[in-house]
This record gives sequence, structure tokens and C-alpha cells, in this order.
Amino acid sequence: MSLTDLLDEAGLTGRGGAMFPTSVKLRAAFDNRAELIVNACDGEVGTHKDALVVAEHLRELEHGAGLVARKVHWAAHRGSDTEDRLLEAGLRVLSVPARYVASEESALVSLLHGGLARPVMRHEPIARGGRDSQGHRLRPTLVLNAETVWRISQIAQYGPGRFRGFGTPDEPGPRLVTIGGSVERPGVYDTAAGVPMRELLTAAGAFEVGAVGIGGLSGGWLSAGDAWSVAWSNAALAPHGLRTGTGAIHVLERSACPLQYVTRLARFAAGESAGQCGPCMFGVPAVATQVAQLADGALAYDEFALLQQRLRLLPGRGACRYPDGIAGFISSALRTFRADVEAHLAGACVAMKERAGAAR
Amino acid sequence: MRRARREAEVAEVIVDRVACTAHGVCAVMSDGAVELDEFGYPIQSRLTLPPEEARVLVEACPARALLFRRPT
Ligand code: SF4
Ligand code: SF4
Repeated sequence: MSLTDLLDEAGLTGRGGAMFPTSVKLRAAFDNRAELIVNACDGEVGTHKDALVVAEHLRELEHGAGLVARKVHWAAHRGSDTEDRLLEAGLRVLSVPARYVASEESALVSLLHGGLARPVMRHEPIARGGRDSQGHRLRPTLVLNAETVWRISQIAQYGPGRFRGFGTPDEPGPRLVTIGGSVERPGVYDTAAGVPMRELLTAAGAFEVGAVGIGGLSGGWLSAGDAWSVAWSNAALAPHGLRTGTGAIHVLERSACPLQYVTRLARFAAGESAGQCGPCMFGVPAVATQVAQLADGALAYDEFALLQQRLRLLPGRGACRYPDGIAGFISSALRTFRADVEAHLAGACVAMKERAGAAR
Repeated sequence: MRRARREAEVAEVIVDRVACTAHGVCAVMSDGAVELDEFGYPIQSRLTLPPEEARVLVEACPARALLFRRPT
């Protein structure tokens, strides 16, 4: 059986967040003799699994990469431990600026071919090649997340049946998640789709759970009640407008003001736009400023309507899906923390009040 | 009666978001088909237009940010 057939049977999807069937990407790559970039950047906020895969499973990773392409490049953030490890192993390293969008698929391809580490406007799959914004030709290049490549190696070694022994029929295979925030034991956990969130939270020793962020900056939020009752899978998270994504799970403590936390991330996001596409370059900072005003209790009701309109206009209007992710993240926060939003619009912070109450 | 060979009846035009510099010419030229956001960038990401109108728009964009896309 060919590798792509094996992966089809296993039902492997990309572990970098997009969940696209790996076999489909691979077929296009084989047809075009694409080079491979193994993305070990852990680009998503709160995700550290690629680092773990490189640190503990490098041999299997190399095996998987070798099955996919003759020429392999290993992408890691500049100055990271992961980069050091890859260099020590004598691998061909693509040193990526430590910026959020720099590790986006087309940004890596652009960087590899001598361009900037910025996303490229794509009109067809990048595995067939393309052109960057300066019109330079990009050789056909396949980008796979490090965990995905590790899974390819496992499937080739142990077969699709063993792989399908984990997870659900629709979302098969083992998965890595990174749990952080208000937990006693932060770190990367080995799990699979369908696991109760309760189990993950308990394993990591979550305490004072006020809400749970799923999928980092391109994900969104679960209320504490939902977080304890829902399963961790795309099917179970979909009604909440969420996806498992890169497997980032962030526990927000009950005493923290969620809007302050969202503001920190929104401000970070505003600085991370690659500054290429107008709607993103201007839209994300405008939204971040308004979120900060909201958290300060300084946003009027009519300004809140403008914030929501801006959020509606962000998705689908950039070369990459960064603005889509940010808009989804903030919109999800406004829904999940509705009570806090109402209180802040009325000029008061619920969390602050509760804390003041508890201190009394 | 149908002609045996004819031009495609609609053309699709997409906005290259990296190239677009908010000149806004497209909004003026398109008779309302393109609306601009508060920062001056087109709200629509793709337009389906009669081929002749599409050609005029594509040529009018000073940033060459409007691209033809064959309808699929
Ligand atoms: S959408 Fe934003 S982050 Fe993505 S390429 Fe454009 S400016 Fe950069
Ligand atoms: S005319 Fe071209 S550059 Fe100007 S707003 Fe329209 S698409 Fe953008």
C-alpha cells in the first residue's frame, strides 16, 4: 500500500491546526516533487508540542520526513531550544523570526525561497508552487507540522489500525495538547479526540477555573461550566464555535478579569500582523484598542456596536487567515464573557468587584 | 438561438490583499459593486461581473491589485 493510501486509511489530518487531510496534501506534493518543510515553530500561542516532538522523537520525525520528501527543511524559531536541537542533529534548519505569522504555511515557503517570512497571497495550493508578492517564483513546497510528520512515521511503522485505536472514528489518532494557565502541572499531554475536558483539566491540576481558552489566538473560549462538561473534539466543540486546533488549552483563573486577559492578547495580536494587508494592518489594531477600552470600562454602547462591526469585517480579507483567527478569538470572548462585557459597558468590572467583595 | 462560441458571460475578479493600497478607484469605477471599509479597503474579496466591466476595473486599479480569475 502506498503511503498516501495508508494515511487515508488512518484518517490523519494536519496537527498544525487546519485539520486538513494529510494524504490530499501529500498527493499534490508527490505529483509536483515538492520539497518538505517540517514546521516545528509552535507558532500558536500556548502551544509547545512541536518542541516536545523534536526533543523526544527526533529519530521518528526524521523517518517520517524521509518518507515524504527527498529534500527536507526544518523550520524552528530563531534562538529557540528546538532550533539548537535540530542544528546539533545536523539537519537543514530554516531559521524563522519569532513572530506569530512568520510560521504560517506560505510565510515559511516564502522565507525558504529567499523572500520575507510573510504570508503570500495564494490562488492555488502552495504545494504546486506559486509566486510571492514580489512575483518571485516559489518552488513546489509542502509544509507539514512536526506532530503530523511524527504521526506519519508511526502510521508507517505500526499501521493505520493501531492509529485508529485512538480518538473517535471521525477524528482518529493520538493527539498532543498543551495545557497552561491556572494549572498545577502545565505541559504537553498525550491524548486523543473525544477525551472529556474534565479529564484533561484534572490531569493538569486545574484550579480556580474561570474559563478555558481553546486553540490559542486563533481559537476561542469555553465557560467554566462548559469546560467541565464538554468533550475535547471538533464535533463536541463545534456548537461552541471552537475547534481543537493546535491543541492549546489555557485555564483562566476565576479571580482574573477575562477582558483584561483578552486585551493583553489582542494587543499582542495588533503587533503581530505582518503589516501587508490593509484590512488586517488597520483592522486588528483598531479592534485591540477598543477591547482595551472595554476592559477599562471606557467603551460606550455605540462604540461597542462599531467593535462588533469591525470584527465582522476582519475575516476573509487578508492573505492569510490571521485576521480571521483574531476576529474569532475576540468574538468568542465577547460571547463567553457576556456578563463581564455588560458590566464593563456599564462602567464596572465584575471580577474586580468580586475580588473586592472577597477581600472584605 | 445560442452562439456556438462565446465569451464567458461572467468574470470573477479577486482582490490581492497584499498589493491593494486603498486607492479606492475600484469603488468609484464599479458602480457600487465594490464598497470600501473605514480604512479605504474593499469590503468584497471577490466580484462576479460581466467580462467587460471586469476588464475595466482590473485595468483601473493603480496598484494592480485586482486580478482576473477564471470562473471554476
Ligand atoms: S492578513 Fe495580516 S497577518 Fe496575514 S499576511 Fe496579511 S497583514 Fe499579514
Ligand atoms: S483600486 Fe485597487 S488598490 Fe485601490 S482599493 Fe481598489 S483594489 Fe485596492
